[in-house]
Amino acid sequence: MEQPPSDPPATGAGETISKNALKRELKNKQREEEKKKKEEAKKAAALEKAKENKSAPPNDEDIDPTQYLKNRLNYLENEKKEGKNPYPHKFLVTLSIQEYIKKYESLKDGQHQEDVSVSLAGRIMHKRASGVKLVFYDLHGGGFKVQVMADASKSDLDEAEFSKFHSNVKRGDIVGITGFPGKSKKGELSIFPKTFVVLSHCLHMLPRQISAPAAENTNVKKDAWVPGSTRNPEAYILKDQETRYRLRHLDLMLNPEVREIFKTRSRIISYIRKFLDNLDFLEVETPMMNMIAGGATAKPFTTHHNELNMGLFMRIAPELYLKELVVGGLDRVYEIGKQFRNEGIDLTHNPEFTTCEFYMAYMDYNDVMEITEKMLSGMVHELTKGSYKIQYHADGTDKDPIEIDFTPPFRRIDMIEGLEEIAGLNIPKDLASDEANQYLRDACKKYEITCPPPETTARLLDKLVGHFLEETCVNPTFIINQPEIMSPLAKWHRSRPGLTERFELFVNKHEVCNAYTELNDPVVQRQRFAEQLKDRQSGDDEAMLIDETFCTALEYGLPPTGGWGLGIDRLTMLLTDSQNIKEVLLFPAMKPQA
Amino acid sequence: MGEALKLLNLTWHPLKNNFYHFSTCAFRRTPRTLLIRASSSSTTASGRNRRSSSPSSSTSTSDREAIRAIRLKKVEELRSKGLNPYAYEWNKTHSANQLQDIYRDLGNGEESNNENDHVSIAGRIVARRAFGKLAFLTLRDDSGTIQLYCEKERLIDDQFEQLKAHVDIGDILGARGTIKRTEKGELSVCVISFAILTKSLLPLPDKYHGLTDIDKRYRQRYVDMIANTEVADVFRKRAKVVSEIRRTMDSLGFVEVETPVLQGAAGGAEARPFVTYHNSLGRDLYLRIATELHLKRMLVGGFEKVYEIGRIFRNEGISTRHNPEFTTIEMYEAYSDYQSMMNLAEEIVTQCALAVHGKLTVDYQGVEICLERPWRRETMHNLVKEISGINFNELGNDLEVAKQATLSTLGNDLEYKDKASIEACQSVGHLLNEVFEIFVEPKLIQPTFVLDYPIEISPLAKPHRRSTGLTERFELFICGRELGNAFSELTDPIDQRGRLEDQIRQHEKKRAAVSTNADKKEGTEDEDESYEVTLDEDFLTALEYGMPPASGMGLGIDRLVMLLTNSPSIRDVIAFPVLKVQQ
Repeated sequence: MEQPPSDPPATGAGETISKNALKRELKNKQREEEKKKKEEAKKAAALEKAKENKSAPPNDEDIDPTQYLKNRLNYLENEKKEGKNPYPHKFLVTLSIQEYIKKYESLKDGQHQEDVSVSLAGRIMHKRASGVKLVFYDLHGGGFKVQVMADASKSDLDEAEFSKFHSNVKRGDIVGITGFPGKSKKGELSIFPKTFVVLSHCLHMLPRQISAPAAENTNVKKDAWVPGSTRNPEAYILKDQETRYRLRHLDLMLNPEVREIFKTRSRIISYIRKFLDNLDFLEVETPMMNMIAGGATAKPFTTHHNELNMGLFMRIAPELYLKELVVGGLDRVYEIGKQFRNEGIDLTHNPEFTTCEFYMAYMDYNDVMEITEKMLSGMVHELTKGSYKIQYHADGTDKDPIEIDFTPPFRRIDMIEGLEEIAGLNIPKDLASDEANQYLRDACKKYEITCPPPETTARLLDKLVGHFLEETCVNPTFIINQPEIMSPLAKWHRSRPGLTERFELFVNKHEVCNAYTELNDPVVQRQRFAEQLKDRQSGDDEAMLIDETFCTALEYGLPPTGGWGLGIDRLTMLLTDSQNIKEVLLFPAMKPQA
Repeated sequence: MGEALKLLNLTWHPLKNNFYHFSTCAFRRTPRTLLIRASSSSTTASGRNRRSSSPSSSTSTSDREAIRAIRLKKVEELRSKGLNPYAYEWNKTHSANQLQDIYRDLGNGEESNNENDHVSIAGRIVARRAFGKLAFLTLRDDSGTIQLYCEKERLIDDQFEQLKAHVDIGDILGARGTIKRTEKGELSVCVISFAILTKSLLPLPDKYHGLTDIDKRYRQRYVDMIANTEVADVFRKRAKVVSEIRRTMDSLGFVEVETPVLQGAAGGAEARPFVTYHNSLGRDLYLRIATELHLKRMLVGGFEKVYEIGRIFRNEGISTRHNPEFTTIEMYEAYSDYQSMMNLAEEIVTQCALAVHGKLTVDYQGVEICLERPWRRETMHNLVKEISGINFNELGNDLEVAKQATLSTLGNDLEYKDKASIEACQSVGHLLNEVFEIFVEPKLIQPTFVLDYPIEISPLAKPHRRSTGLTERFELFICGRELGNAFSELTDPIDQRGRLEDQIRQHEKKRAAVSTNADKKEGTEDEDESYEVTLDEDFLTALEYGMPPASGMGLGIDRLVMLLTNSPSIRDVIAFPVLKVQQ
């Protein structure tokens, strides 16, 4: 075990020792003076309020934050001057706090195991002194907490050293403790330190807990949060959203649930990976920087490669590359990764976000719908530990949560038929015609639905569907058979002219998945790109660009293929009761600070 | 966007005049106009982007276009017969490999046509021989190949005629039938019925001579994969490596996280970043050059074991070892030091080697690499002494003296540019590293941990607990290439701030020097240092909240895959590498 709190000094030995000796002497003098002063102060304090704060340092929480930081920096500087290393290299942890609790929670009240030695490490999140000789701490680590009962009589330090040392241990410090296990008479599992090392210092004052959990007798959090249940960020110790997102480390430190959000995110992704791996999919990586931003319709980020003197776009979707790999003979591929869209930031949009796309040769959209149902219902069932239903604050945390039911099969709505039915429309069958465009313009006017220009048929339809159909999709619902004009990469429907074999999955009125039987006729693909170009020329700069390499790849033959995309951030939002995408991104994009 | 449109115009307009119309598609209500590109060789080449093809080396462009026209005609013929040349799905019962496996013991000339021996397969036709009433096709799928034995009498309806008339090499076919091993010992599906699932329009390159054009191999990876089956194997192995790394990390209790690619300041390494602009935020953003600083913030937040596998971007030249975007894993573990990271590196790499090869000796470009643990661990000082003969422990701290000593010892072995870079060293630490890179690195063929780097070149590593001027850092070398980089992490925010400020000062100094040189030279070649480096205040603030003692490591996944797939170039292990713009 390597524990170098008193590291050999960094510079030449002889010289430093004498310097240090000098310093120590000075220090000792100072100390004595301080002691005297303290003594006096103590007396004064004792006169004023006789009962408390006998030896405790001035209450840290009353100091101004800047002064607090200054004090801490001075303290560190002095430590370094004394040749001490305030940032030890290594502390050997023998048990995690979780393991410690598991191992010793069965001790009887008041029982101590003084012959056992364990080493724990973590962050001090609460400190209270009970006289000079006894200090209590809450030690947090890995989402668990244990009490530390630092008793001068059990410590390797003498009483004076003990009291001095512990006066410098602050809330927020990372510490390493070697000691023995025991339970207090009240039954709280604790560790009784023999040695106590500060491993890293918290130089800032941590926001305070609302109510000191002194009376809490449990080592684990009460009502541990599970995915699919509700959260209430209003009750967090650190509430301010701006601070939470900018200083995520503080958020994680103070609000234990936040850690669970990101563990859930990680588990969602590993569930998807496991699910696809079991179906013999191959995980691949395709470029994030392209000459053409294809595969979706969105404004891309641009950048420049200096040495090659080449303009590049950040990808907006991996679709075209993944299909090229299917052409190359990898029949089942997927990629989980970041996409980038140069768009505004709001509750559901971040400039970079994570998707999973998969492509499966010889399958069509019906097969893919089944796979979607299986994957998502299975995931919800596993994460919630046995339920298909989740609770979600769809209308804000001040309203009651709604229930979203992932029990398969999911509802299916045919887009055009559904729209006609619910809105009482009779849309001209040839959606590419001017007649259809005019009809939809009129429909939008009638229902007072605004479609910002250009009023292309695709955009008008999108607005109407958003208004009438998506609004009804709270439980997972497939909206299927989108028109060709909205779906440049989807294959025409095998029996319904003008439509495609495509579906979008909506949950809580938001699109979560988008999938289709892939268009693999190169001639038709080129034609669709040409139509997109027309939309583009009429001002829709979100229409798709032609990718020649992709079209050439199709000419080598893409097998019949079902393709699928999932927005992982949005799914994570649903399972973690998050209304803001920033809740599920560790470091969301933020406006520059003023 | 402007740029995109320009590109589009280039791509599109030259072709526009070459469309003629084709009428068609029986099943559509409105007759559709299909646009067919009838291009001459000059139009094919014009306006292509980096990912598009150059004329094939095996088939001349005019041949190619002729074949394309013939096949498009077949597409129409199929449609006119009510067949769909682009089918919707196919129900496979087996893969080729599964059949080879199941019927391993079927004797030559034997047939197996019980009820449950009716199989259905699908894949690409890669070879075709047709005789009067018999045809042999080779079908390849994701798993391997199998022969299709097509006898006129056995096929339903007039399918044999259709096969002869409409099936070409390159088509995707679905076939149903029974199992038979031919007299010559070839396991075959005795076809009863088949369907053209996807009609291919372009000819496959010749199997043996087709894809010698290296550039084309990378530009049209899918053709490369069709023509050379071992190419797809590289990507299968790559997936295995990544999955094995993940499995190892997960089994050790590490949590996988995602940190931003787009950042306000690109920190965590020294490299020229890509710059982009976010419209709605109205600010420049940098593409990450490392994941380090954000992951360390996770440690501050209380995660004790985290890792991220992800893309890193560096705006630097391309070579057999460098692609502007590449994949790394970075991992951070609280309460451990760089010694434990060495063990972890050994664990990860050996697990991956076992997953891919089943053994710990691997061949890399003719050299046998032995991955048996433990790997050699030696300090940088000792390695430099051992190989160059210079003992930096005895050189002291005077930079000029050290430079003179180095030049006089090594003078004769140095190339001009090496001499220049030695002259340019700003500190003894830099000098040591320079000598290491020139003389030692290429000789580190077997796995070697190089320990204890100078503090001047290690701004994020903790000072060594025993040796002044050094850090607790190692790099892992295999085959003369750096595969990993790790340290006991610097946790002292004051020290960290000082070191990063130093780094910026050094960078600015170089930048100033370069810009004066550039003024003189005019038309700058070397603008390597012309980017800005800024302090990541968010990271420094996080450190002030206290980061536990920790160690961290980054491993280059592309390089690991190169090693384990015996690939000489990074472009062999990246599906779509960045290439120069094609003329």
